[in-house]
Amino acid sequence: MATVAVPPNKASSRRKGPWRHPWGLEAFTWIYLIWSIVPIGIAVLFSFNRGKSQSAFQGLSLRWYTGTSQAFGSVMHDPILHSAVVQTLKLGFFVTLITIPLGVGFAIGIDRWRGRTSNGLNLVMIFSFVVPELLLAVALMFVFLQLLKFVHLGTDAETAALIVWNISWPAIIVRARLVTIGKVYEEAAADLGASRFSAMWRVLLPLLIPAIFASAVLTFASVVDDFVLVEQLSGPGSQTMSVLIYSQAHGGNNGPALNALATLMLVFSLVVAGLGYVAYRFMTRGERGSTTEALTSIAGI
Amino acid sequence: MPAGRSRATTTSSTSAGGHVEIVELTKSFGETLAVDGISISIEAGEFFSLLGPSGCGKTTTLRMVAGFEEPTSGAILLDGKDVARLAPNKRNVNTVFQSYALFPFLNVADNVAFGLKYQSLGRSEVSQRVGEALDLVQLAGYERRRPGQLSGGQQQRVALARALVLKPAVLLLDEPLGALDAKLRRALQVELKALQERVGVTFLYVTHDQEEALTMSDRLAVMSTGHIAQLGTPREVYEEPADAYVADFLGVSNLMEATVIRSGTDSSPCQLQIGEFHLEAECGVLSATGAVKLAIRPERVQLKPYDEPGQNRVPGMVERVVFLGSASQVIVRLAPGETLQSLVHNDGELVAFQQGSAVNVLLPPDALRVLPGGGASVAEIREETYGDQPDLAAVASPGAP
Amino acid sequence: MPAAPVAPTATLRSRPDGVAPETSRAPGQAPRKPPLRERMRARSAQDRIESWRPRWFWAALAIPGAFWLIVFFVLPFYVVISVAAGILDPIFQSPVPVWNPFLWSASNFANLLREVSFLWPPFLRTIAYTAIASALSLAIAYPVAYFVTRYAGKRKTLYLVLLISPFWVSYMMRMLAWIDLLQVSGYVNKTLEWLHLMSAKNPESWLGGHPATVIFGLIYGYIPYLIIVLYAGLDRIDGRLLEASRDLGLGRWRTFWRVTVPLSRQTVLAGMFITVLPMVGDYFTNQLLSATRSTTMIGNVIEGQLDVANLQGDGAAASVVLLVLLLLPMIYYVRSTTKASRENL
Repeated sequence: MATVAVPPNKASSRRKGPWRHPWGLEAFTWIYLIWSIVPIGIAVLFSFNRGKSQSAFQGLSLRWYTGTSQAFGSVMHDPILHSAVVQTLKLGFFVTLITIPLGVGFAIGIDRWRGRTSNGLNLVMIFSFVVPELLLAVALMFVFLQLLKFVHLGTDAETAALIVWNISWPAIIVRARLVTIGKVYEEAAADLGASRFSAMWRVLLPLLIPAIFASAVLTFASVVDDFVLVEQLSGPGSQTMSVLIYSQAHGGNNGPALNALATLMLVFSLVVAGLGYVAYRFMTRGERGSTTEALTSIAGI
Repeated sequence: MPAGRSRATTTSSTSAGGHVEIVELTKSFGETLAVDGISISIEAGEFFSLLGPSGCGKTTTLRMVAGFEEPTSGAILLDGKDVARLAPNKRNVNTVFQSYALFPFLNVADNVAFGLKYQSLGRSEVSQRVGEALDLVQLAGYERRRPGQLSGGQQQRVALARALVLKPAVLLLDEPLGALDAKLRRALQVELKALQERVGVTFLYVTHDQEEALTMSDRLAVMSTGHIAQLGTPREVYEEPADAYVADFLGVSNLMEATVIRSGTDSSPCQLQIGEFHLEAECGVLSATGAVKLAIRPERVQLKPYDEPGQNRVPGMVERVVFLGSASQVIVRLAPGETLQSLVHNDGELVAFQQGSAVNVLLPPDALRVLPGGGASVAEIREETYGDQPDLAAVASPGAP
Repeated sequence: MPAAPVAPTATLRSRPDGVAPETSRAPGQAPRKPPLRERMRARSAQDRIESWRPRWFWAALAIPGAFWLIVFFVLPFYVVISVAAGILDPIFQSPVPVWNPFLWSASNFANLLREVSFLWPPFLRTIAYTAIASALSLAIAYPVAYFVTRYAGKRKTLYLVLLISPFWVSYMMRMLAWIDLLQVSGYVNKTLEWLHLMSAKNPESWLGGHPATVIFGLIYGYIPYLIIVLYAGLDRIDGRLLEASRDLGLGRWRTFWRVTVPLSRQTVLAGMFITVLPMVGDYFTNQLLSATRSTTMIGNVIEGQLDVANLQGDGAAASVVLLVLLLLPMIYYVRSTTKASRENL
């Protein structure tokens, strides 16, 4: 074999030519990220504004959160703002509490129960995910006004609506995870002596806990954020934070108290997301995985 | 169980005997017939293998014995009791899965103790049994680890411990060594066999690797498309294959097609013809007539100088010599057209036959085996085993060491 | 029968080879058949236990969720149709649903037709806004998602966190942020003045009825969902396919057009659906960012109709019409999702 003289390496070791780094794309991405996040940061900042303006920053203060001034309401002391926070959290917890078992049971049942009916139900569930929220709100409003009159508009109606609107979160996420898990773990459990209940309780549910957690977190955030259903089905005293912000934010005539409210909503969602992430990592400790996986499953991908 | 008891088989602490009787077991999935009325009798404490390519029904049979599939018809008798339609959690049979199926959210000790929860034992007895089981598979001290932190071989051992701790009558193993690399696989084969002898449990082992089946089993069944092609000890199946399929599945068989000139009897050899060459064979179905197949193991094929005359010799040309270390594989193309493999042991001297040289291939009559002629042609069998790469047939690895 | 205990030998097979072989080539040659068969029959009568995983078990698990779906999803749509195909109570001027399909009337739909000149502009506007907003969203989201999946390298986690974070910010807050900025005295105008693109004496009122503002709001509101879907889909594309394409001589652009784009078709379609469908029903973006009649979308119209009792029938009819129009894309989306998930198994 003849040896080939290798020309000396060029001075620059930076990757050039076909494999060069796409700086254009990276800049574009960063511009997007800034455009996406910075306005929110500004809004959060203004919730700490000393003055009443939302366009001129006048110094830091917590007055919109905890201030006791009678003239300008704060979240903690203004009854309307305060009750909105309470109502939002109430809805968030109750709806999540009911939706998750319904959705998880639905996912497990539909996955194992082969047949026309189960396929049909699955289709219905996917449709509930795809239909525009306004149309569902219209439909539910008529149901509660014309047919199921015992369900009063207000918290009851909102709860029922939010459950059906969000049931696709656990149904889809848990179903996807079930497909990955397969039958083998339950078979192993049966082989070792478990009855079908025991196999599901001791093996399947622990395996599903990450997916259940992820879908619970997403459901909570979605309920806290929800606007259309709550507004259309609202009754006396059942205003949530979203609805309050909406009703007072038309045309820009509002105060930083709304920013405070919105910031609180953000905090709630982030706290729950953070808890979910921590719980997910805890549950899956020792299993091979990565941060990226945890994040993507929390986001419902 | 103290190690000193390894020599005694009948006093091991398994519950029942572990005698398995499969009677005309059939399973069809809709139109497809996966298992076609097979019957096997497995002795208590035996290491029995089901060997065959994918799709032959061996895994389905195993799953029926385990209880994950319900047979279409037939019976599975475990120590006399028909368990074919019994739920899997009610049989005294445990399984080691191909993917181990260790519960990732439990540590090793909890995995092993999983089945013990259904036997209402005290906590101290549970931990004692877990400790014994982990000792048995040489994983003492790994109790707190999680399956995700273990290597493949270690996971497999945990799976074994988890099954054996329940003291089953029969242990089912579904290609447990498939995911491991070759060296680890060989080491674990030895360990598994030793383990089985020590514990005395009946092992029903499913594999597609003929080397594994031959080295570990007391007896094995070669399966093909839902039925059993041959059942016997490894030596019988290797030295006395019942048909061309079995012969070709277990190691290199050097299959050839030939015609019978005169059938043989117990006392006289069978006279055959390949091309224009005359051969005598003393093994196999000597009474066959017409078109038959011949098989001879590569270690019995002898290469003689071209000009040396003699009985049962066919001239040929050396196509390739492959150096294997302890032996050399010589690929010879015979005058009538067939390609044979000869295994020449490395005794220190260079192989006398270089690529391209002419030789006389001696096929000793007592090694040449007559197999029934019908069924798939040699080319078809080659294709089933080696797919669309028939050249591989020429360099396939030799049979069991 | 197995021999007496044998010391393990060098070979792994420790059974003596003298055991008689049991070749069973033909099926059904078990030696002790008749007594076995009788035993089998007797035993199987006793031990017949039903399958370990019966169907009703799974159905029972699914029933509560299914019940909720049927009562609060399927039923309501029948109610909407019944109201839309119903009649107007002459005294109370409120809609009365007609439950029997044979008695359905088209009076509400006739009303809609009469008002078509009022309904047509919002309808067209909805199509226009949605088309522009979703096209622009795709133009922004695709490169970003592509960059993060292919070129993010070590910083992928960071990018992912930043991409996902708007997901956790409520829609209201995102709109609120821009309301603050787009006010007459807000930072957008201040920046434009500073850049001398706008005079201080004549500031633009972005929130006073600009279609651009509404489109901008739609993009800003829905693009995080699109990015997440695109990210998930693009991430699944095997990088080796792209490397193979480069290896075969295709340049960057051509690899993109001829390999990446076809592979991501399914994802883009899915992303478009989850962007376009909600946008069509959107009414609050317009209310928040514009609140003038010149930029209303069909969602605003329906919502307005629902507020007035004697227009509720029209509102129901309009909803039904909208639903029918969206039905085809929705079915297409559902079909392709279930087909894709079946293929991925």
